[in-house]
Amino acid sequence: MTNKSNNGFNTWQKSFEKETKKNFSDAKSETDEGIDIKPVYTKDDLENFSFVQNNSLPGQWPYTRGPKASMYTNRPWTIRQYAGFSTAEESNEFYKKNLESGQKGLSVAFDLPTHRGYDSDDDLVMGDVGKAGVAIDTVEDMKILFNNIPLDQMSVSMTMNGAVLPILASFIVAGEEQGVDRSLLSGTIQNDILKEFMVRNTYIYPPEPSMKIVADIIEFTSKEMPKFNSISISGYHMQEAGADNVLELAYTLADGMEYVRAAMSKGLDVDDFAPRLSFFFAIGTDFFMEIAKLRAARTLWAKIMKDFGAKNERSLILRTHCQTSGVSLTEKDPYNNIIRTSYEAMSAILGGTQSLHTNSFDEAIALPTDESARIARNTQLILQNETGVTKTVDPLAGSYFIENLTEELSKKAWDIIKEIEELGGMTKAVKAGIPKLKIEESATKKQAKVDSGSRVVVGVNKYKNPKEPSVDVRVIDNNRVRDDQIKKIQVIKESRDTKAVEKALTNLTNAAKDETNLLIPCIEAIKLRATVGEVSKALEQVYGRHFAKSLSVSGVYGKHFEGDKEFMKVENKIREFENVNGRRPRVLVVKMGQDGHDRGAKIVATSFADMGFDVDMGPLFQSPKDVAKDAIENDVHAIGVSTLAAGHKTLVPELMRGLKEIDPNSKIIVFVGGIIPEQDYEFLYKNNVSAIFGPGSNIIESAEKVIDLISDNLSKE
Amino acid sequence: MELVDKIIKGERASIAKAITLVESSKDADQQISRQLISELIKKPGESIRVGFSGPPGVGKSTFIESFGSYLVSQNYKLGILAIDPSSQITGGSILGDKTRMVEISKNPNTFIRSTPSRGSLGGISMGTREASIILDAAGYDFIFIETVGVGQSEIVASNLVDIFTLIVGPGSGDELQGIKKGITEYADIFIVNKNDGELKIEASKTAADYKSALSYYKKLDELEKQVLLVSAIEQTGMENVIKTINQIIDQNKLKGIFDERRADQLEYWIEEEVKNIIASDITKRLTSKGNIPKYSEKVMKNEMSMYEAVERITKDTLKQ
Repeated sequence: MTNKSNNGFNTWQKSFEKETKKNFSDAKSETDEGIDIKPVYTKDDLENFSFVQNNSLPGQWPYTRGPKASMYTNRPWTIRQYAGFSTAEESNEFYKKNLESGQKGLSVAFDLPTHRGYDSDDDLVMGDVGKAGVAIDTVEDMKILFNNIPLDQMSVSMTMNGAVLPILASFIVAGEEQGVDRSLLSGTIQNDILKEFMVRNTYIYPPEPSMKIVADIIEFTSKEMPKFNSISISGYHMQEAGADNVLELAYTLADGMEYVRAAMSKGLDVDDFAPRLSFFFAIGTDFFMEIAKLRAARTLWAKIMKDFGAKNERSLILRTHCQTSGVSLTEKDPYNNIIRTSYEAMSAILGGTQSLHTNSFDEAIALPTDESARIARNTQLILQNETGVTKTVDPLAGSYFIENLTEELSKKAWDIIKEIEELGGMTKAVKAGIPKLKIEESATKKQAKVDSGSRVVVGVNKYKNPKEPSVDVRVIDNNRVRDDQIKKIQVIKESRDTKAVEKALTNLTNAAKDETNLLIPCIEAIKLRATVGEVSKALEQVYGRHFAKSLSVSGVYGKHFEGDKEFMKVENKIREFENVNGRRPRVLVVKMGQDGHDRGAKIVATSFADMGFDVDMGPLFQSPKDVAKDAIENDVHAIGVSTLAAGHKTLVPELMRGLKEIDPNSKIIVFVGGIIPEQDYEFLYKNNVSAIFGPGSNIIESAEKVIDLISDNLSKE
Repeated sequence: MELVDKIIKGERASIAKAITLVESSKDADQQISRQLISELIKKPGESIRVGFSGPPGVGKSTFIESFGSYLVSQNYKLGILAIDPSSQITGGSILGDKTRMVEISKNPNTFIRSTPSRGSLGGISMGTREASIILDAAGYDFIFIETVGVGQSEIVASNLVDIFTLIVGPGSGDELQGIKKGITEYADIFIVNKNDGELKIEASKTAADYKSALSYYKKLDELEKQVLLVSAIEQTGMENVIKTINQIIDQNKLKGIFDERRADQLEYWIEEEVKNIIASDITKRLTSKGNIPKYSEKVMKNEMSMYEAVERITKDTLKQ
């Protein structure tokens, strides 16, 4: 450091050391990403950059400062709130209200059965219909969803990956039947299947055919839907699952490279489709890191696309949607979430996002109410209209710290990208389960930091609210939604031309064998009123359904607690339990229904095992009956149900019945963790649930409670 | 015993509780467990016990899911004892086998139990043999014992089963040099998995390598070892596996090898139990007499040699 010999810096350093009583060289703090943050940055920190260029301008190579020259000074970012629940009718009402209140674009959340390609009348999805999003079974539902919303004027983003073919087909047909040609449709379909295999688990088919479907959609939209983004390459769900920012950045861009290759393998020129690739990142609470991440993402993508031979400038530019972090929201002291979301939104804006979703403060508990959705939307309206952030493009450019952090992130991400490329690309890495394992390791580390108190979460592990406020939440009667959907399916099945539908479905199956573009026969089938489930099954005949192998990390959680009193207390209790009972306490950790968010379940499994429990991991997508059989055969002491998609009110009583059916004297206790509104607690306790752990529960305390409950239960025998 | 009747009736929860008993390290449980096993042994079923082993990553669980699905589709009742290798020394275990046996674990004609190996020799846990006796009495046609293929596990596992199967992956032929002799003695069938997609040619080549190597080590009076090609993912080759198992069992029964093996295994079991009892008895005596520290001190002071000390302690301990 040249500045070290500089008098000014030396004086500063002395003052710093005097004030802090620390050596300057020790005064660093390490981030989750393994980056050392120094207490001060200087001009010297702008040197030796390999990625960031110090004098670049917005809208110019390497696009660090933004995809456009004028950015928000010309047009602010799009306020795009993600929403959807219960039936198409109710979601449609909600959308129209939001549009009247200042929202600019739509973003549709589908329910889990739709994601996984099941119709609402399928027995497998009993607890999930209309819960975490809107239920779409046929094009009729899609038409209702956009009733009185002109699709030639409204840009629509759809979070859909598994059942991407029937859903995009339904959107196209719904447009056509509104009188809008497909070439006029604008918006985005997520269509990012690789990250589903890593974190979100709403896939249907195995990786290879899934990649073929992605490529089919890129091919079709590049030719027929010039205003439509064919894919939204998403890091969001990785951060939600616990990835740090370097992992999120690297894996997202590596996914992007894989999609580019898939599209090029269809004979498309890179410039034919690259301008319509879009991205989606999460914005968490690490304020400056998140800003740097967006700047680094644009810098790296420009380099990547140049290496792919892109000539059109628009191919080089990374455009992104952002959403504030859901996992940063807490169930405890929930109004704090409004503040967290505001800072996260500010990061996204300073990082230069093209559109933004701000979470509602009650989303750690349930789907947003009209009121909480309003506050979330107003967070952005205030930023746009009151704070002045739109008046200057990339206002943090030139900051020693931000520029240095952008470079550091770029370097670290680039190393990981190179590793993935050496493995043969993301499809292969995903099949080997490497990214999933790395993300789980990162998630477990983060959780351990919170549980050990080395990371403060206000209202959760420090500054707790002595009077927790009670919050009204949106309640969805999923049995009613399911009944409504089943009736609609029946009416359609009776009125459609069954023979024509069957023929269209056979054509689709044949197309899958022939490897021709699947969207075209899919549109035909949907037009004739084939259901989402029927279309998915027609393809399943050729591709099969994918079942994930589950790998687990171990030891990561326990490492943070060496010598920790609370941790050792639980370890001792378990040792004592083993001496008395002749085996360790054994717990089955499960997810039921179609909810594939398994970060919580995985963290509980590894941390409980680190404390000394024997932990059985159930596969994803189990029915309550399967879980009961599994639990009884392994003679577990307890079942831990992880639930994030609101199916618990149907699935948990079903599990209790299942246990009693196999063993009327079953003594297995059941505890539930995840996103559970307080209003449901009483219902669950009435159904003999022994304990409930909401978001932000301390795992060691939870483990202690579980071992105590098991011991009590055994002593009753 | 009430539990015996319930097991014979095939009551799932009772079978599970019985397995817990035989795996328990508690003295009281072990006593009940001995009583239980003594009764069950009098009422044997007709199960065929098949051992599956193989190195990590060859797709053992996926193969068992695939082969098991085939068997239950043929109306066989299938019990699976999976010894989970993911044990840690300090913490508990994560038992993830069932995440790879999604379809068969749902089937009412299966019973699947995972057990942490706890780092015991050969990956076979305490109680595996007893658990297979319970499943046999409960009327399961096949009992699979799945172990992770490290170190001595093949040898220990092969002492629990009627037929022993090694699952290998394409390209593993080179490893033959390392595993050659022991393996040919203990395994009856070699299954080359992943005979699909890009790996097909490699899989066939590996199968051929195994065949030629095995014929080289074959003893005169021995049955030919079988090498089979399967794809767990595409579910191909499964009919051939069951056909081969049945053939070997029939032949072994005809030649008396089947009963001979079971007799050998009984001998081995008795020997093991006796050794265990003696060992734990001796350990108790050693600790209560406290001879070792005493003599060790003498050795340190050069008052006697190490071997002299050993001899004295041994005599002292055995004398009673």
